[in-house]
Formats: sequence, structure tokens, C-alpha cells
Amino acid sequence: MTGKSWRLSRRQMIKGSGVAMALPYLNAMGNTNGMASGATGTATTKMPKRFIGTYISYGVYQPDGQSGIPRKDKDGNYEHHEWSWWPQGNPGKLTSFNKSTAPFEPFKDNITYLRGLDHKGGYKLGGHSSGDVFLTGADMAEIETTNNISIDQVMANHHGHETRHASLVMGTEGGTGSYLRTKTMSHRGPGKAIPSMHKPDEIFNRLFNPYGDKGIEQVRAGLKRDASILDLMMEHSKSFHADLGREDKHKLDEYLESVREIEKRVERTRDWTHTPLPEVDRDSLNLTVDHKTGPAEYIRVMYDLAYLAFVTDQTRYVTYMTESEQSSSSELWNYANYVLGYKGATHDIAHKRPQVISGQWDLWRAENHAYFLKRLADTQEGDGTMLDNTLCLWGSAHPHSSHSGLNYPLQLAGGKNMGLKHGQLLEFVGDKKVPMANLFVTMLHAMNIPADKFADSSGNLDQLLRV
Amino acid sequence: MKICLFLQMALLIPQLASGQTSIKTGQAGYESHVRPFFQKHCVKCHGPTKTKGNINVHALNGDLAAGRELETWESIVDMLEFGEMPPLEEQQPQQAEVQAVIQWIETEMRAQIQNAPQLASAPRTRRLTNVEFQNTLNELLGFELDIIDDLPEDPELHYGFNNTAGLMRMGPEQLDRYLEIARKAMRAAIVAPEKPEPYRKRQQWASIGRDRGMALDELGIWGNRRGSVAGGMSMRELPKHGEYRLRIQASGIVPPGFTEVPLKIDMGTQPGRTETPFKTIAELYLSNTPDEPKVFEFRGRIENHPASLVRSGKQGPLVRDIAIKPRVFFDNGTNNDGANYANVRQLAMPRAVINWMEIEVPVVDIWPPQHHTAILFPSPLKATDEASYVGQVLERFMSRAYRRPASAQEIDRFAKLFNIIRPSADSFEEAIRETLAMVMISPQFLYHTESSPATDEHFAMASKLSYFLWASMPDAELLDLAAKASLSDDTVIQQQVQRMLADERSHAFVEDFTLQWLSIRKMLTVPINEKLYPRFLYRVSVGETKGTEVPYLITVRDYMMQETIGFVSELIRQNKSVLNVVDSDFAFLNERLARHYGIEGVKGMKMRVVPIKPEDNLGGLLTHGSVLIGNGTGTAPHPIYRAVWLREAILGDHVPPPPSEVPALEETAGDATEDALSIAQLLARHRTVESCNDCHFRLDPWGIPFEDYNAIGRFQPMVPKDGTRVSGFNADKHKDLAGYQDYLDSINTVAVISRARVPHGPEVSGMRELKEFLLKERKDDVVENIIRRLLSYGLGRELTYRDRFAVDSIRQQAIKTDYGMRDILVSICLSDVFREETRHRKGKED
Repeated sequence: MTGKSWRLSRRQMIKGSGVAMALPYLNAMGNTNGMASGATGTATTKMPKRFIGTYISYGVYQPDGQSGIPRKDKDGNYEHHEWSWWPQGNPGKLTSFNKSTAPFEPFKDNITYLRGLDHKGGYKLGGHSSGDVFLTGADMAEIETTNNISIDQVMANHHGHETRHASLVMGTEGGTGSYLRTKTMSHRGPGKAIPSMHKPDEIFNRLFNPYGDKGIEQVRAGLKRDASILDLMMEHSKSFHADLGREDKHKLDEYLESVREIEKRVERTRDWTHTPLPEVDRDSLNLTVDHKTGPAEYIRVMYDLAYLAFVTDQTRYVTYMTESEQSSSSELWNYANYVLGYKGATHDIAHKRPQVISGQWDLWRAENHAYFLKRLADTQEGDGTMLDNTLCLWGSAHPHSSHSGLNYPLQLAGGKNMGLKHGQLLEFVGDKKVPMANLFVTMLHAMNIPADKFADSSGNLDQLLRV
Repeated sequence: MKICLFLQMALLIPQLASGQTSIKTGQAGYESHVRPFFQKHCVKCHGPTKTKGNINVHALNGDLAAGRELETWESIVDMLEFGEMPPLEEQQPQQAEVQAVIQWIETEMRAQIQNAPQLASAPRTRRLTNVEFQNTLNELLGFELDIIDDLPEDPELHYGFNNTAGLMRMGPEQLDRYLEIARKAMRAAIVAPEKPEPYRKRQQWASIGRDRGMALDELGIWGNRRGSVAGGMSMRELPKHGEYRLRIQASGIVPPGFTEVPLKIDMGTQPGRTETPFKTIAELYLSNTPDEPKVFEFRGRIENHPASLVRSGKQGPLVRDIAIKPRVFFDNGTNNDGANYANVRQLAMPRAVINWMEIEVPVVDIWPPQHHTAILFPSPLKATDEASYVGQVLERFMSRAYRRPASAQEIDRFAKLFNIIRPSADSFEEAIRETLAMVMISPQFLYHTESSPATDEHFAMASKLSYFLWASMPDAELLDLAAKASLSDDTVIQQQVQRMLADERSHAFVEDFTLQWLSIRKMLTVPINEKLYPRFLYRVSVGETKGTEVPYLITVRDYMMQETIGFVSELIRQNKSVLNVVDSDFAFLNERLARHYGIEGVKGMKMRVVPIKPEDNLGGLLTHGSVLIGNGTGTAPHPIYRAVWLREAILGDHVPPPPSEVPALEETAGDATEDALSIAQLLARHRTVESCNDCHFRLDPWGIPFEDYNAIGRFQPMVPKDGTRVSGFNADKHKDLAGYQDYLDSINTVAVISRARVPHGPEVSGMRELKEFLLKERKDDVVENIIRRLLSYGLGRELTYRDRFAVDSIRQQAIKTDYGMRDILVSICLSDVFREETRHRKGKED
């Protein structure tokens, strides 16, 4: 972040010009196709409802917070610490912000901290592996060993057809990772991890330049041909499938479903060729930065892409695994080293919790996330801002000490237009303890998705919603 | 009940101990001996009240027919065999008793496995791994196209292999990428009929300027000045496709004390401009003098070196820009010593002389190129009967892509596909490209050959062998043998395995296998403490990227990877005993590595076998830098990581991860790793917490003898006192190598403690005694483990209890051949378990 101001100023440019011509919801000029068509909307135009889930690994700093809950002093008040990840000790209205939460102070009316929530299934996996189920709540240790559908995909299944892309799945490491070492947060269903995308230029091309240098007619003709080819491919593969044993048939179903999925995508892409693509200035982003050489810039470019995907309404559901657990063979192992000069692996921070380093590490991550929230908050949309129409869940499934899997650090921001009530630190401990999946049920409600249950939910957290 | 059992025990067990060593098979034996044994020695911890290690014996009924329980039985027999259970602090059974119980369990298991050979067969339909896909593509096309970075990364499994059906999954994103790659590959493989005009560029450097140090055509270790050959050759608007030919005229200036000039040629763009910057295209070892310059020629694909877009002039258009840079990579460990790099110093070191270089893209000597005519072969049919021609093209291509003869029906489908594509395609070639791209995303290409029901036994075997020993598709010879139905013959298989292991393609197997088996890659990301080890890596000293590693230099860490892979290669090449992994009388080194380990007399950068003596404190895999660094913190050794590594990679144990909510040992460190508690203190803490001690008493002691080696893999008889690891370092005073040594001597003042009592074994002092112990007492486990790893990799699945006897018979075979690693590979390929899965392909339950 130091000495890169020239890049920051280029970023300002996007805000100013870059995508402005294609912002569908600015000035309430939206329609369901996601494109300003000339028909001027009114303030009552239905605003998009969005979700982004962002993950940080190896937990956060909490003073004496072995279990993820701070210690109480003799008066029964929670002790507070200047480097605590929680903005204040006691639950209630958000009043104070400390060193590592300071970046969120400007959003205090737009955020809620949630303490005491976790996934039972994650707990069974052990601290370094519970990230697998952060957005799924699956019981991977016992029954759902191949994980299960994630909350963003539930949303995408309901409303994904309204945008060009049903969802966008990003991760700093890319790919799916493997059992207990996930590198993605999104899953279509059991055994269907969606590989996260990690190269900014690929994400950019997928969102804003999907046709390359081809003309639209050429693209349409190509897609039409692709559809008939895929039909034949399907037939071809089925003959392979027919002769297999049961277990192997099941395996090859993955392939057949993939072909089917691509067929659907071809169809979808064809439909969307009638909608012009937003124009985004490629030069306004440093698309070749990687997480090794420029960690801070990389993360922000990824956040920029999420923002651009939202602002141009290419998708409404994004997940971004900024860091993954068990990253010993990736550069993320050294992130804290690159960023803070910490003489050890990032993972060591989780084990040793050196106060100041751990706190600074949290601060760095908070700055990055606050950067994204600010972009949303600075963008007018209807009567409010984009932040008011976007649920931003940020946290880790790995609270504080090295092998703990209870009481996740969680922050939910945005969504005022979606009924969210903010500005509090809520606590769910002791007899008030409920599964984190209850939060997901409420998020679905905020998205206008009828749901009684998600994973192991026992109800909802509709108290987060304004009545 | 209890009394009754006690009586039984009192009566029967002594009988066994006094000579009778077998128990009746089946239920009768279980009731009479096994159950009483469990009652006496096991149920306290593995019964109704406690279920330690997830093993529970009280519910077993002596009937092994139930499939799932066999896994439990196998764990029990393993524990008994190794003497791990009952724990030492409990009353120990008589050896004869234990042997009898082991024998009973083994007999029952064997019967069970034989009676139900088809029980619980895991799916075998697995896609190619990214490595296999990359190699298969290259073999199929006949040229190298780097596409592995375009694929979503494969999952990894530490100490295990990712080539299993469980991990090799398929999803739409994966298939999408395959399609993109297939199209890219076909675009490269099939050219347009018209011969293009190649792009050509030549640049030369004059032999002038010697009065100012080095002449313009010279290249030293630290480069040379502006305008010299060190700047390389930059090119604009190079074609995007095709084979390139690079020729350079070069020679070496080798001062006394050196043997040659190692030179590498990189092509690409600056980092930050593209995702894939400079890639090395060649390495040369120059010993010809400037009086006898030689011309060297390299070929490769330009697609592998993406250009970056730069503005030509201030407001000019964007143009594609790429450069070729030569670099001398000689490194004897003093390059980075902090002394100044003035010309005087360069002149005393090896330098390369490059008079000129020239490039041509694409190469048009033969047009269309051979990789094109291998697919679109010349034939009069092409003009007269396009349909039959396409049929023949498809048959040839598909039979290679599918690694078996394509059926008429399969060919017909793609002929139909061609007909759909042809009308809208710009050219015949374009239609063929698209059709063949579709062949390359069909399951017959993407999935392992033996999973296809249409593959016969011999073709299945051809692919099994090639994906095992080459991580690639079978070559023409294997496919010919399959066509002749010869791949069921022991002699033929044996010959083929020997041939394949001698072929350089086997390097792909050794690398893929070794890096996964030993979990080596993590060493690349261990943050090396710069203050403590300032010379280990090369850091950028100024500017925005200060402190990051200097790109494009080959570091000692890279050579360590080669050391480990090369060492395993040598075991295979020379058919040496696999016990060499524990200790050996040779190492695999070059000058840089030898310097790091303190071995004298190794000259040059080529990796080679070097004989070593015990006092060198090397030998085997346990002392490899890759292992020691990967299982350290970059500042200090990490006995727990190293213990886990030893048990998993060498002894073949599975070490479970720490469970949830085990309290962290927070006191183990202060704010920085530098003032960590000593290892002894740390481990003592493990023992005081019961939940830790349960596992750690079996773990920690294995890591202590590794303390003889520091965090960068060097032997360290003396270590710093706790808490003073980096204090007292003075950048000015300790600048050069001698000064740095003074500093090390000043902090390393305490003799290292590397003595520990190994679990169920004696006390060993240091690495040397640990190795002796392993070779004496754990030899069978080491051999069995290596056989298991190789077999699991070769079969592409995890082994189960059902493979117990297969492994044992390979091990028996290995004893006869002195554990030679190549012989073991041959036995595996000849084994029933390896061939069975192809022989009994048909007739499995549906």
C-alpha cells in the first residue's frame, strides 16, 4: 500500500468515468435486464438485492479469547483490549472502535457484529479445516463428507437468472482445494465445489469482455453451433456411461452434468447477447498483479472486480476467499510476512497470537474490507447507496486459538434497504446460543427467498430485520 | 461374567505362552482366545466406556464377514504387530499370545478377502490429473504447449496422491477450461495451408569496451552495463502462434578454478506485465573459448511465452512486446556475500560471450509442419472425397487420443459433428480444429483409459503402465504391443517397465510421485528468516519490491528440490535399495548445494551423484534441505513437523491432525519467533497437558534427533542460547561471509540437544543414531511404506485392508532382490493387484 498512490489515483478514475456509462442502477434507472434502456425509472424501482461472502483465515485476535468469547472482569463486564477484533467488550449498540476495527468506524450505522455463532459441522472438522463449511454449514465430519450447497448458490438458484452471471466465485488461491483444505467457499451441492477464480484478468474478461474480439453476430452463430455440438457430445458420452458399473456411473455423472451445465450456459449466454455489455476501462485496473508480488493491491483489485460486477449488475452473488486455511504450499502461508514483515508463517499467528502483530494483521484485513464497503457506500443507488442493497458477510470459521472451531468472528454489513437493522454487537452465548445457519435463513429472507431451514438451522435471526 | 472371563484367561493364556502358538480359526478361536485377549488388554480404553483412537473392540463378534469391520481389524493387527498397543505403561501380554492373535486375525482376513474379491470396489473412473493432462496433450500433439496454469489447480493431499477418483472430480468450470485448452491446442497443431512469411530478428554485440571492464558481448554473473548483451534482445509484434527457432553464437570465459559457464536463456516479459513472465527456454554449459565460438539452436512454441502490450511511443498504439534475456547462473554460494560486485570481481568469475542471437517465428522449413501432417496427412482423398478423408483423419487421431482403437460408432459421431461445424467454418482446417477439440473434451480422452468399458485388457494395461511410469499416454511401442495382445505376458511387461524407466519421460513420474509422497512443495513457502539467514535467498535491496526475492535467479532452494527428485531417480536408475531413503553413501548435489552442506570438491552447476562419508552428516532423505526446511519455521527447526514427516513419509503411519478445541500452547512464543521457548520446554508442556500428551508422546521424540539440523537444513552442532537467536547482529560488521561466520560463532554457543527415547524403542542421540535405529528396527516398515506409496500412486487409489496381502507379496519379492527400487517397480507392474483391475474389467456388479 505504500508508494502506490499512482495506482490509487487510477482507481479514482473508474469511479469518475470508467464504467459510468453503463451503471444500471445509478439514478434509479434500472430494469430487470440490468441495463438502462432509456425508460427512466422512479425511486420505487425494484433495487437488486446482493450478497457477498468474504473469508479470512486463521482467525483473529481476541484477548484471552480461547473460545472466541472475551473474558469477563469481576464486575461481569467483558474485558476489552485495544487490539481486539471486536470493536467493544459488551454487547449492545456499537459505540467504540479500537485499533483494528477503526477502518469500520465510518460504517457503524451499517454494520452488525455477531458473536457466538458457528457451524456444528465445522467444529467437528477441527480448527484449520472448518473453513470448508463456512457458507454451507454441512456436517462434513459425519454425514455430508462431500460438503453441501453454499448459501450464495441457494440465492443464485433463485434469482441468478436475472443477471448475466448467476454468481461469481473468487479466491486468492484459485481452484477448489481438497477435503478440509478448501480454496473456494461456493458449492453447487454435495461434491460440487465451484473452483474459485484467482486471476484478475480472467475475471475481468469473463465479466466484461466475454466475446474477445469477435463481433456479436459471430458470437451468436458460434453459440448456436456450440449448442448442437454439445447435444452430440452428450449422446456420445452417454454411450460411455451406459456400460459402467454403478459406482463409476456415479462418477461419470459429474461429467454429464458438466456438459448439461455448459449447454445451459450456452443458452444463457445466447439470451444475454441481446443485452449490451457494460463498458469498463481495462486500463483502470492493474489486472496482472498477483498475490505474491503485491498482496494489498491484489486483494483490492479483486474487491474492485466484485464491485464492478455489482455496479454493472453482471451478477448479484459473489464469494471471495481472500485467504484459505492450511495454505502451507501457497504464498498465503507468507502473507503476513509480505504485508507486515512478520518473521514467520501467517499460520504461526494463529498459534502464537503475538498481540501487536496479530492485531496489525487484523487491521490490514479490515482496511481491505472497509475499502470495499466504502466503494459500495460511495455509490448512489436509488434513494440510498449500493451498500444498502448488498449484504456483506465477513469473517472466519477459525476464531482465535489454533485449533478452535467455536464462536466465529463475524461481521455483517449493508442491506438497510433489505430490512437490516444495524449498529450493534449481538451476542449468542449460553442459553441464547443458536446455529450460524439461523443467520443464513434470515439472509435468505432479506433476499425475498422463502426458506424455513438451511443446513442445521433451528430457526432464524429475524431480529436482525426491522419489523 | 467378569469372573468367568478371568477364569478362562487364567486357564488358557498360560497354555499358549508355553508353546502352543495357534488358535482355532473362525468363531471358535475368537471365543476361546481373541475375545479374552481383548478383554484383558484392550477394552479398558477401547470398549464401552472409552473409545480411544476411534477403535472399539467390545462390539466385535469374531465374524469378519461384515465388510466395514475389516478396517478395524486391520488397525488392530497393525497395532499389535508394531507393538504400539497395549501402551507401555499397561501390563504387557506375552509375545506368543500376541503372535497367536495376530495370526488368527490375518487368517480370517485373508479368507474374507479371497471369498469376496468384488466387495466394496471403489470407483475407478477418474479424470487425468493436470500433470497427466499436460503430458498427454504434448505427447498427442508432438510439441510442448504449457497449459497447466490455465487449469483450475488440482487438490493436493499431503503424503498421499491426488490421482484418485475421489479427488479427480469434474465440474462445468473444469470442462470449460478443457474446451478452451483443446481449442488453443488445435489452433497450434493445425496450420493454414499457405506458408506464412516468418518474423525474423537478429541482434549482435561487438567485442568492444574491454578497457572499461567487460566488452559489450560479455555477460557476467551480475550482468553487464547498458547496451551490452545483458540487455538481451527485445522483439515487437512477434506472431502469436507457431514454432520458433532461436540461434545464438556463444562461448565461455572460464577463469582458473572454474570448470564452465552455465548460461540460461529466458524469454518473456517483465513481471507485473503478464501473468506468466519470463520462462527459461534453455540451459547451456559453455566451456568453448571465445576463439572457438559455437552456434546453439533451440526450438519451442511461441504460445508459451505470452507477450505484454506496451505503448509504442507516448500516444502510440499498443504493441506486443517480448524479450530474450541471457543470464549466467553460476553460483558457488558467494554471489550473495555482501561484498561489492565491481567489475574486478566479475572478471574473476565465469562469463559468457554472446556474439549474436537470431530468432525466426514460425519455422517454415517444412510446410505444413510435421505436427500438422501427423493429423491432416497428405492424401488424394482430401480433394476427391472429403467425407472419407475426414473419417480417416478421425480414426487416426481418435485412436491416439483415446489410447485405444476408436470404434466405428465413435468415429461416426464425430464425423456427424464435423458436418454440423463445416458449413459455418471459415475453412476446412477450422472445421477440423473444432471437431478434434471436441474429441479432446470427450470422456474417453479426459478420463483414464482403463475406466472406459470399451478398452480391452491390453490397451488398459498400456495406459496403466504409461500413466504410472511416465504420467503420460502410451507411446507407439506400447500401443503396438497392446494391439498384438502382448501386454498380458510377464516377460513383455518386464521389458517394457525397464524400457520405460530408462526413458526420460519417467522423470515426470519421479517428480510427480516424489513431491507428493514427501510433501516437498511446502518448502517453497516457508518464510526464511532474513536476519538469521541473510545469504540463503536473494532479496531485492532497494525500490518498491524491496525485500522480495529477486526473480529469475536459481537459488539453493531450487537445487534442493532437484536434489530430492534426483536422489529418488538415482535409486531407480541404479536399482539401489529403497532403504537408501534412510541412509546412503551418496548424495545428489552441485557446487552450490555442496557448499551449503559443507562438502568440498564439487565443481559446477550440474547436479550429479557425489560419494559421501558419515562425517559429512548427509545421506538418505532425512537430511535433505527440502525436507528440513519444509518442516521447519524458517527461523528454527520444528521437531513436531519433522516428526510428523518421518512417521507419514518414511514409516507410513497416519498421524491424525490435532482435534478441535485442543488448547493452543500460547506460551510457546512471545511477539516474535526469535524468542520462542526452547524445544525441550515446549515438549515438556505437551506432556503436562493430558489431551496433548495422548498423541504427542508418540510423536515428539521422533523430531528431536532432527535438531541436529537448522531451519535451512544445515548440520548444527552448536545452537544459540534461548532467546538470543538474532540479537547482536550488526549489518555493517557482519556484512561479508567471514563477518557473518563470526556472528554465527558468537551466538551459537550451546551444544544442540538431539537425544530422545523413541517411542517403543531405545534412546537415540542425534540423526546418526536415529538412522541406525530405523535401519535396524524399522526396516520392514520403511520398505512396506515405499511399496504402499508406489502401489497407491500406480493404481490411482488409496489402498485398503484388501491390499494387505498384495503388498506383503511384493515385499517378499523385494527381499529377494535386496529392495532394489527398480525391481520393486517391476514387481508392482507384474503383481496381480495391478493387473487384476484391468483383467477383471467386465462382469462387475451393476
